[in-house]
Amino acid sequence: MIEDDIYRTSSQFRLWSYTRPALASLRTKTNDIASERVRAALQRARPAQQSTTPSAAGTPQPGSDGETKKPEEKQIECLTPEEELILVRYYCEKTLELGETYKPPLPTMVRATAIQYLHRFYLTNSPMTYHPKSIMACALFLATKTDNYYMSLRQFADGIPGETSTDDVISPEFLLMQGLRFTFDVRHPFRGLEGGVMELQAIAQGQAPPAPHIPNQTAQNLLQKLKSIAPPPIPSSSINDRIARAHGTTRETLKTAAQMTDAYFLYTPSQIWLSAFLLADKPLAEFYLDTKLGGPLTETIPDGDAMETDLKNPLYELRTKLFKVLTECSALLGAYTTLSSDPDQMKGLKRIAKKLYHCQNPEKINLKRDSGQPAVAGAADSGQVTSESESERLAKKRKLELEQKARSGASDMFGPELVAERTKQ
Amino acid sequence: MAASPFASRSPSVAVTSPNTLRLKASGGTASKPTPMPDQELTEQLNAEVRQKYVKDKKLGEGTYAVVYLGHLRDDPSSFVAIKKIKVNAEYKDGLTMDAIREVKYLQELSHPNVIALHDVFSSKDQNLSLVLEFLPRGDLEMLIKDGDIQYGAADIKAWMGMLARGVWFCHENFVLHRDIKPNNLLVASDGEVKLADFGLARSFADPYLNMTHQVITRWYRPPELLYGARQYSGAVDVWSMGMVFAELLLRVPFVAGNTDLDQTSKICEAFGTPTEDNWPGVTQLPNYIPTDPAHRVPLQGRDFFLRQFPTAGPVGADLLMSMCALDPRKRSTAVQVLRHNWWTMDPQPTRNEDLPRKTGTKKMGEDLSRRGGEIDDGPFKNAARQLDFGAMK
Repeated sequence: MIEDDIYRTSSQFRLWSYTRPALASLRTKTNDIASERVRAALQRARPAQQSTTPSAAGTPQPGSDGETKKPEEKQIECLTPEEELILVRYYCEKTLELGETYKPPLPTMVRATAIQYLHRFYLTNSPMTYHPKSIMACALFLATKTDNYYMSLRQFADGIPGETSTDDVISPEFLLMQGLRFTFDVRHPFRGLEGGVMELQAIAQGQAPPAPHIPNQTAQNLLQKLKSIAPPPIPSSSINDRIARAHGTTRETLKTAAQMTDAYFLYTPSQIWLSAFLLADKPLAEFYLDTKLGGPLTETIPDGDAMETDLKNPLYELRTKLFKVLTECSALLGAYTTLSSDPDQMKGLKRIAKKLYHCQNPEKINLKRDSGQPAVAGAADSGQVTSESESERLAKKRKLELEQKARSGASDMFGPELVAERTKQ
Repeated sequence: MAASPFASRSPSVAVTSPNTLRLKASGGTASKPTPMPDQELTEQLNAEVRQKYVKDKKLGEGTYAVVYLGHLRDDPSSFVAIKKIKVNAEYKDGLTMDAIREVKYLQELSHPNVIALHDVFSSKDQNLSLVLEFLPRGDLEMLIKDGDIQYGAADIKAWMGMLARGVWFCHENFVLHRDIKPNNLLVASDGEVKLADFGLARSFADPYLNMTHQVITRWYRPPELLYGARQYSGAVDVWSMGMVFAELLLRVPFVAGNTDLDQTSKICEAFGTPTEDNWPGVTQLPNYIPTDPAHRVPLQGRDFFLRQFPTAGPVGADLLMSMCALDPRKRSTAVQVLRHNWWTMDPQPTRNEDLPRKTGTKKMGEDLSRRGGEIDDGPFKNAARQLDFGAMK
């Protein structure tokens, strides 16, 4: 049994690996369904709101009614799949930061798992239906449980900056698990990187065993080759120093670019770390791959007299195929920049957040488990069943929330940079 | 509990076409009103899974779950066990760890000797249901206990072979089971033994990271865990496997302590007292108990195992001894167990269809609804207490 066979039985491969077109079409589908449901829900909420205004004498500030009604009267503009993706990515970056605020910081693995949970959840759920802000803390807490980093819910909630109750964290858990299709295992590229670095260190010390497919390798000629590769992008004092530097840079890429992009959906963990390694130190990474797969074809043809067929690297085709995939993946990882460090992207994000404010599904705001009407998978979800009084209640609540928000200013979990947003109660 | 919980579901939810997903959504601008999708995509996917099965009668109920017999809606002859996880009112932190572990690992492990998890779905009351392979022929504990059932070395070899392959597969996937014992080894209708109950399972920890030592049911718990080791390996499961092997041979648990302390002393009496000589580093373990040099039992050798387990034969006794090494570093790994020459020598393992059998539908319900680490309180437990290890020497 080889590792590839084992990987193919993993849920990550079976349920969470896609081609680019399949990924795009799934996102479009999710967005279509959510948009339609948002429009219908807002439609339902509108007459209810109008009818409540005259009778609800106790409603504070009835004068503000005109303002909240206005945007709903025109055609409701929903988020596009691209906008949803940017929004989710932003909250993935926030998840990484949230993990950093704990003392000690949550392990990289736990944070990475949480981020992948968010990506997976939003393949079949829209931020218009469930705001990422209400899902991200839950994803991080679930990851502490699935990745064996035990802490109590209370302890976890206390570690979140600002006012967050344990209930805020845990109420979407079931919904989240459903979106994950009850698969909790995430295969990360970190362990593969550690293994590769250990192999390179062994080569640098002249203690490497030959690769299984290349019997004429010796520890000595491996070391010789390593010494003769092209210089690194940044000069280093020794081979060990060079390996350590590439190790650090790769780890950083795996922590950031590999998490925020679609890398996990499109590539295997080993492809991801090798691509990140190529970005960090191309000659070193190519050397490493050649120790496994033999060099490129041209290098194996000496001036001598042997037949050309004997000289062909038997793994040549595999090598070519792999390099193509790694180059693609490197391009994906290399193109990534953090949203929050880029003013242009932040401007776009603010626009999206504003837009979301007007197209958030009002029936999905309360995720509390004990709220009579289960928010998940319940009969209450099908539009027909939702009673008139229920949508009325929701509409009222929403309005109240808006007003409270307006008065209190945005005291959100992560500061006011995203304009005033509707949060779950 | 013969009523199907699905029968009462709103007929609007795809009952008429259970296997077609209605994922199409209109752009919304067409003049004709198009029917609105009545669920989010993620809910549609869940409903699709749930619709595949019909729940029949209740098989058992425990602290942790209720188990039902069920079948595929399309095929009434295809039986499954549906394990509905109970909401634990005392645990306020969401889904409990045992449920998370069980779902996490069974989703990843697919092997003839590991119970198959076909599907997971949620019901509207937010309960989790696991659709598991239906294993109607009870468990190994039943077979061991049942005085009416006769079995021999060839049968034991067959059962142990299936167990060893299941454990090897878990370890190959970097998963520790951490609760191997006879009543977690269920028997399929074709006689195949399957490792079940992954409520205590976890992935191998990264080097230097701690794990809990409070795992594995006491009688099957290895000495390193009794001594509080926080860093351990697949060797813990191999010890449990050795204890199952011994129990199959003796038809009573081999070392059955009443308390953790008692378990430690029984292990010492049976296999020898751990010392720095036979187990370097043992005295540094957190809960190590210094022993009185005057009462030290020397490490048992081959002779002891041969005398104690004559039915295993010399080669079988050698395999058992390799699984019961006190020092986990000297204990066989799962691969080494499988490579032992006991498997290839006579008697050949019994073929599945010829293995001693017992029908035990109700037992599967009980086995699956127990919480990890729990022991059945039965007459067997008392019998085990009466074992006098002093007399065995």
